[in-house]
Amino acid sequence: MFGYLQIQKSELLVREFEAYKSVYCGLCKQMGKDYSFLTRLSLSYDCTFYAMLLMSVSKTCKGFKDGRCTFNPLKKCKFALCESDCYSKASAFSVISVFYKLKDDLKDEGFFRRILTRILLLFFSHWQKKAAKKYPEIDKFISEMTSLQAEAEADENCSVDMAAHPTGYMLANVFALEAENDTDRRVFYEFGYHLGRWIYLVDAADDLEKDRKKKNFNPFISLKEEYNQQQIVSALNQSLARAYDAYNLIDIKDFRGILDNMLLLGLPSVQNKVTDNLTGGNNE
Amino acid sequence: MNNPYEVLGVSETATDEEIKAAYRKLAKKYHPDNYADSPLADVAEQKMKEINEAYDTINQMRQKGKGTGSTGSSSYSGSANSQFYNVRIYIQRNMIDQAEQILDSTPMGNRTAEWYYLKGMCAYRRGWSEQAFNNFTTACNMDPNNQEYRAALNNMQNQRAYNYGGYNQPNMQGTGAGCTCCDVCTAMMCADCMCDCCRAGC
Repeated sequence: MFGYLQIQKSELLVREFEAYKSVYCGLCKQMGKDYSFLTRLSLSYDCTFYAMLLMSVSKTCKGFKDGRCTFNPLKKCKFALCESDCYSKASAFSVISVFYKLKDDLKDEGFFRRILTRILLLFFSHWQKKAAKKYPEIDKFISEMTSLQAEAEADENCSVDMAAHPTGYMLANVFALEAENDTDRRVFYEFGYHLGRWIYLVDAADDLEKDRKKKNFNPFISLKEEYNQQQIVSALNQSLARAYDAYNLIDIKDFRGILDNMLLLGLPSVQNKVTDNLTGGNNE
Repeated sequence: MNNPYEVLGVSETATDEEIKAAYRKLAKKYHPDNYADSPLADVAEQKMKEINEAYDTINQMRQKGKGTGSTGSSSYSGSANSQFYNVRIYIQRNMIDQAEQILDSTPMGNRTAEWYYLKGMCAYRRGWSEQAFNNFTTACNMDPNNQEYRAALNNMQNQRAYNYGGYNQPNMQGTGAGCTCCDVCTAMMCADCMCDCCRAGC
């Protein structure tokens, strides 16, 4: 995942922003504890969102504790306390996805970067094994995603839907793990699917210019047709709209203000930032 | 049944107006139109039913007896004489693989507007929105007068045009809408968040 699941800070209440930060710090701390200080650097907004969602639906946030930031001991910070394994799960998710991302990067990087990636991989493969042992399902879905993605990109007729499917599928299944019954499962699945799809497509839109220059794979550029800016915006809106509709059916217990803020303001503003930069490309 | 006040997310001391407002907000959220064609239509319908019941119960308890039995029915039904009757049944039951199997085995010559519509519906249920959009568009082009196809396409066009970051989302609370916010909503939000984070903590 790529860090697109952000808040719109200006629209959060101060109290909410502090809660958000304290989940971030709590997750960072847990990552250090479960894996190593190095993995902390890989902490992304996406995992914070995941942790927050987990804590919200399981209602396991049990207040806040004062502490100090490990990176900067002079800085005071708060940690959100969680009584279940939400943090561990989110940490595992983060470590595992970084591992597969690195592995994937090996394929298309220059010589020097490849060496760096290899070194990082050495560490991460150790942590990934540890995480996978604890959460085998998460590992399974993420590794499946990687192979499905490679398959889709190798397909000459790969459509936007096909290219976005693996990410959607992965997140759908990971979210669906939280469901307690069949109906819940479908709701989580749909939410995860469209959120994952959106993440993938925003990332693709973000990389559009770069991929065009380097002639890399990009779902919006295919042999048959090329999406113009308006079409990209429509596709993104659609995913977000459907994710939001599914989200509304989830029983959100805590952090509603923050999660609403992300879905209604944070993500769209990320999306706008990305799509505003598209200089139209070829307008058919 | 759950506490009807909890279902609507209001306190038991809320005024009738507040309850009405909360009900309206939720009703808008779960409105069948938002979930037309969605695989989650039934879940939304269930939620709608719950809030309707809760609202009715509160009204009865408060002896107003206004009742607003406006349960939306959203299930779309195909005509029984359709040549793809089975496909429609499968789609209704969320058995998309089976539906697509029948569709894919339809010879090229028989691929009517309805075929494209149903193919689009399968894609939509899977979350393959781009493909769904193309198929619905084809269906509408082939049979411009069909209301059913038109409705599906319109639904998608609404989603595609609607940027939720748009600034007209009325149910985003506490987004600095001025002092009017100091009323119920904000108070509720505060109470809610406080409870959320500290209930067991302190």
